[in-house]
Amino acid sequence: MFVSIYFLSLFLSLYCKNKKNFFNYPKTDKKYSISVLVPAWNEEETIEGTVRAIFAAGYNLEEVIVLNDGSGDNTKKIVEKLLKEYPKLILLNKKNSGKADSLNQGLEMTKGELVAVVDADSYPVTGSFEKMSGFFDDKKVGAVTCVFIPRNKKRFFERLQAIEYNVIAFTRKLLDYVDAIYVTPGPLALYRKSALKKIEGFDKNNITEDIEATWHLTCEGYKRRMCLATHATTTVPIKFKAWYKQRRRWNLGGLQCISKYKKYFFRKGMLGFFILPFFVLQLFLGLLGLSIFVYLVSTRFISNFFYTKYSIELGTSIITMNDLLITPSFLNYLGVILFVVGGFFAILVLFIMKSKILVKQNIFNLLVYLVVYLSVYPFIMITAIYHFIRGTGTWR
Amino acid sequence: MEKSQKYIFLQALIITFIVFNIGIFMGNKLESSRINKINQWYLESDLELLDQKIQSDAFSFIDFDCELLVKENIRFADNIYEQAQIIEKYEEASRINNEIVIQHKRYDLLRTLFWINSIKIKEKCKPDYHNLVYFYKYNEPSLEQKSRQNVIANLLFQLKQEKQDKIMLIPIAADNNLFAINLLLEEYNITELPTVLIDENIKIVSVQELEEIDKYLN
Repeated sequence: MFVSIYFLSLFLSLYCKNKKNFFNYPKTDKKYSISVLVPAWNEEETIEGTVRAIFAAGYNLEEVIVLNDGSGDNTKKIVEKLLKEYPKLILLNKKNSGKADSLNQGLEMTKGELVAVVDADSYPVTGSFEKMSGFFDDKKVGAVTCVFIPRNKKRFFERLQAIEYNVIAFTRKLLDYVDAIYVTPGPLALYRKSALKKIEGFDKNNITEDIEATWHLTCEGYKRRMCLATHATTTVPIKFKAWYKQRRRWNLGGLQCISKYKKYFFRKGMLGFFILPFFVLQLFLGLLGLSIFVYLVSTRFISNFFYTKYSIELGTSIITMNDLLITPSFLNYLGVILFVVGGFFAILVLFIMKSKILVKQNIFNLLVYLVVYLSVYPFIMITAIYHFIRGTGTWR
Repeated sequence: MEKSQKYIFLQALIITFIVFNIGIFMGNKLESSRINKINQWYLESDLELLDQKIQSDAFSFIDFDCELLVKENIRFADNIYEQAQIIEKYEEASRINNEIVIQHKRYDLLRTLFWINSIKIKEKCKPDYHNLVYFYKYNEPSLEQKSRQNVIANLLFQLKQEKQDKIMLIPIAADNNLFAINLLLEEYNITELPTVLIDENIKIVSVQELEEIDKYLN
C-alpha cells in the first residue's frame, strides 16, 4: 500500500510539475539521416502495411531494410513486390537467427546517423520520425520512443490493452522527466547509431532485446526520451494465450536484465538507483501479493470445507445474518480509497492522452482492467520466473 | 535529469508519509471509537451485573421477587451475548490497536461472574431455564477448530432463537490464562475445547453429541 501511494504521488507530482510541456517535442532544423530496420519473421499479414506506413510517414529516409529472418510464409514475396515500388527499400533474406541477431546484421548495413527499429506489425504515423528526431539535438540522447496504440480496438480484450497502452505511455513520459525510461519498445524506437555501436548492438542472449539495449544505453550514460507528440499503431494479441505469452516474454526479459545488470545495484546513476530497484520491487511485491492471495484463498477454502461439513452434520444454516454483516478494518477502507484513486488515475491518463477510447470505454471496461486484467500479472511473473530458472522460454 | 526533478522523489516520499500517516491516524481513530463503544457497554454491563449480584447476595435476608430477578438475568444474558458478537467482529477488523484483546478478557471475566451469579439465582429461585456455557479456544485455533467453533456458535445461536428464555447462553474464551476461568475449568473438568457445559453438569465435546443437544434441554 505504501509503495502504491508512493508511485501515485510520484507520478502525480511529476505530471503537475511538467504538464505545460507534456506533449511538446524539440523542433530541429537539422535533417538527420535515418535508416529503418524492420525485423520480420512470418509477417505476411502485416509487412506490406508496415512498409507502406514507414514510407508514408513523411520523412526523407536513408533506407528501409526489411530483415527477413527465415520466414516460412509469403513475407519474402510480398517485400520483393514492394521493392519495385520503393527504391529505398532493401530486403535482407537470412537464415533464422532471432530478432536481436537480425537487427545487428541490419545495423551493419545502415548508413543513417539515426537508426529506427520498427516491428513488422507496427505502423508509424505521419510525422513520427520528424517529431522524434529533434530529441537527438541533445548529444547525450541515445534513444527515443513514442506512444503505441493498439491498431484494433473493436474487441473487448483489445480495448483493455488500449487502456494499458495509454497508461504505459503516460507513465513512460513521466519517467522521462527523471531519466528513468527503462525500455524503448520494438514497435517504434529511434536510436543514435553511434550509441548502438558503442553498446555493440542488441544482445542476442536476451529475449527482450529492446529492454536490454535501453538498460545498456542507460549504463553507458545515454539519455532515453519519450515523445508523446506522435505514435505508432501496433497489432496486439487478440487471444488470451498469445497475450499471456507476450507478457511472459516481457517479464522473462526483465528478469534476464536484472540478472545481467545486478552488479550495478545502487551504482551507475538511474539504472542502479531507480530502474533496477523498481524492477526488483515489482517482482518482490508481485510475488508477495500472490503468496498472500494464495494463502488467503487456500485457508478460506479449507475453513469453508470444514464449516460446510460440520454445518451439514449439525443441520445448521451455512450462512447466517451475522456472516453477512461485514465490519471493515481501516485497511479495507484504505484499500478502497487506493482503488478509487487508482481508477481516477486511469481516467485522468485517458483524459490527458486525449484518448478516443475514453469516449468509447465505459466504466465496466475500466473496472475489469483494474480488478481482473492487472491481477493476472503476478501469475505471469510466476511462469516467467519458472522459465527463467529453467533457462527455457523463447522469443516465439 | 534536471536538478529540480531530483527532488520529486523526496517530495513523493514526504507526501506518501503524510498520506500513510493520515491513514494510520484515521485507522487508529476508527479502532479507538470502537473500543470506546465497548468500554461504554462494559461499564453499563458491569454496573448492571453488580446490581444483580447485590440482589442475589441480599436474597437470603430480603424478600425478592424471584420471577423479576430471573427475567432481568435473562435480559442481561441476551444483552451481553449480543455485545459479544459485535466485539468479535470488531476484533477481527482490528489492525492497530491491541486494546480490544484486553477488552475481550474483561468481558470473559464479566460473563464468568454473570455465570456464577446465575448459578446462585438458579439455586434460590429454581427457574426453568438452562445455563449453557460455551467454552471455546480463543488463541490461535486451527482452521478445523475455528470452523467447528463457528458452526457450534451458530447452532447455539439457533437454539437460543428457538428456546428464547429457556436458555442462558454464556460464551467464554477458555484459554486466556485467567485464573478464575482456569479454576472453573478445573472444577468442571473441561480439558477439550470447544466444550458446551449444560447446567454445570453435562459436558458436550463432540459434534455427534451436539446433534442430540435438544434432549438435554427438554
